[in-house]
Amino acid sequence: MSAPAAPAAPGVPADATRARIPARRPRSRRAKWILFGKSVAVAALLIFTLFPTLWMISGAFDARASSASASLIPVEFTLENFTYVLAEGGFARYLLNSVIVALLTVAASGALALFASVAVARFKFKFRTSILMMVLIIQMVPLEALVIPLFVQVRNLQMLNSLLGLVVVYVAFSLPFAIWMLRGFVAAVPEELEEAAYIDGASWWRMFRSVLFPLVAPGLVATSVFAFITAWNEFIFALTFMNDPEKYTVAVGLQQFFGQYSNQWGYIMAASTLITIPVMIFFVAVQGKLSSGLVSGAVKG
Amino acid sequence: MLAPALLLWPLVRVFLFSLQEYGLRQIVSGESNYIGFDNYAEIFSEPMLWQIVLPNTIGFAIVAVGGTVVFGTLVALLLASLNRMWRAIVSSCIMVAWAMPAVTGTYVWIWLFDANTGLVNTLLLGAGILDEPHNWFTDRWSFYAIVVLNIIHHGFPFVAVTVLAGLLGVSKEMIEAATVDGAGAIRRFFQIIFPTLKPVFAVVVILSTIWDFKVFAQIYLMPGGSGSNRSVLNLGVWSYVESFAQNRYGFGSAIAVLLTVMLLVVSVVYVRTLFKEEK
Repeated sequence: MSAPAAPAAPGVPADATRARIPARRPRSRRAKWILFGKSVAVAALLIFTLFPTLWMISGAFDARASSASASLIPVEFTLENFTYVLAEGGFARYLLNSVIVALLTVAASGALALFASVAVARFKFKFRTSILMMVLIIQMVPLEALVIPLFVQVRNLQMLNSLLGLVVVYVAFSLPFAIWMLRGFVAAVPEELEEAAYIDGASWWRMFRSVLFPLVAPGLVATSVFAFITAWNEFIFALTFMNDPEKYTVAVGLQQFFGQYSNQWGYIMAASTLITIPVMIFFVAVQGKLSSGLVSGAVKG
Repeated sequence: MLAPALLLWPLVRVFLFSLQEYGLRQIVSGESNYIGFDNYAEIFSEPMLWQIVLPNTIGFAIVAVGGTVVFGTLVALLLASLNRMWRAIVSSCIMVAWAMPAVTGTYVWIWLFDANTGLVNTLLLGAGILDEPHNWFTDRWSFYAIVVLNIIHHGFPFVAVTVLAGLLGVSKEMIEAATVDGAGAIRRFFQIIFPTLKPVFAVVVILSTIWDFKVFAQIYLMPGGSGSNRSVLNLGVWSYVESFAQNRYGFGSAIAVLLTVMLLVVSVVYVRTLFKEEK
């Protein structure tokens, strides 16, 4: 499926200049072919990219999704898959658990990262490299290696099947990245602004609330979304720590669902759609910020 | 600095577990039961490691990283050639593939390739290419082909967006000068664009390699992927299954340590070549 996009692409950089020639001028035959090739490549790319998502959504609304006759536009439109999944499948419970875990993770990692990033950016600790190392190490260390000792630890603390146990783990994972990103935002705030606040008689706390926080808030939004998505999507820890169905998060709930109704694709796709929608919304909302935040964390200060 | 402790301590512990015969009894009692490097000896004398698990892990990572980076780069080149409006539209659509959670994306691919109700089999049967429904998940090769498809679909947007950001920064004058001098598109890519973007490619390749070495959910969730089909195990899933399905936490820890060391080596090698070339 991925192949069709390939042939037209290598010639692209030069065509970029060509495409800017106003359309009024007569195009050469070659330019027409290039335009045609690019259109085909874009169409193929969009189909490859969007197809699984569209297939999931249409399956969720299709009464016949479990037979082979499913199609991209539902033949028999229904909401039954959703109502069944939420009411009888127990998915409402999983959604609630995931919302609780994700919001607690966002709150805890946001608060901790905010103060830590101020400390790192302002108080001239030499933590810059070590925090970048932490970000990289967390990317590198396989979760499969951490899940064994953490399982034993959480078990000994009697915190298996506790949503709080998951929150602690997720906060630990999202914190370094959040600090790294927020650091860039804090460093971008001119120190003169802070000094001006002190001269006006503000306490550190007052300065933090009225000067620093409003300027750093956009970064906090981006890191919060990142933490939310981490907690919402995480699978291996939720799978290991939660064995009481009352405490499943959506990712584990879906897996149990598959075991139970392995051929009821309408149900599975309805549940998948419910999981995917909040992530998509958040992702599109902050798409540019994640990478630019990472870059600014690296460059500034 | 709580975070380092939270992460380093488990790493130390997983190494300590790997030196023990650590099962349910040890978890309950909290006793330690050191057996030296016996777990490692067992792993390395296990034919399955050499014939199945390592080839699955490394071969898959090479194919998946290569596929993701090449495809992502081609998409970035395509995006760079579009006008601003179309670039924004196509980039947003790509985000949809990136945002799809790994767990739900995997189930969509499972459904597409499902033996009885999957679109792929329906189409192939309809076209007369298959005579009867084919189970794509039992064979090791077709199993991993689906995983590769899943990973490329989920992973290429990151590569495309990152490389595109780099491409837009490549000096237009240089490319135009090369064009005037008669350099073709492929030559321009390998002699101007690629050398300029080397650091970007390095980051993209390192991160993709790390992610693809430790891929878990995308394999574990597939039919037979959670241990019942031993021929599709990779290091991560093998470690997990030995630990949590067989209750051999010591043996599973040793596999996990092996995976961690491999990732460490890969990362160090990459970072060193990157820095060496910068000088």
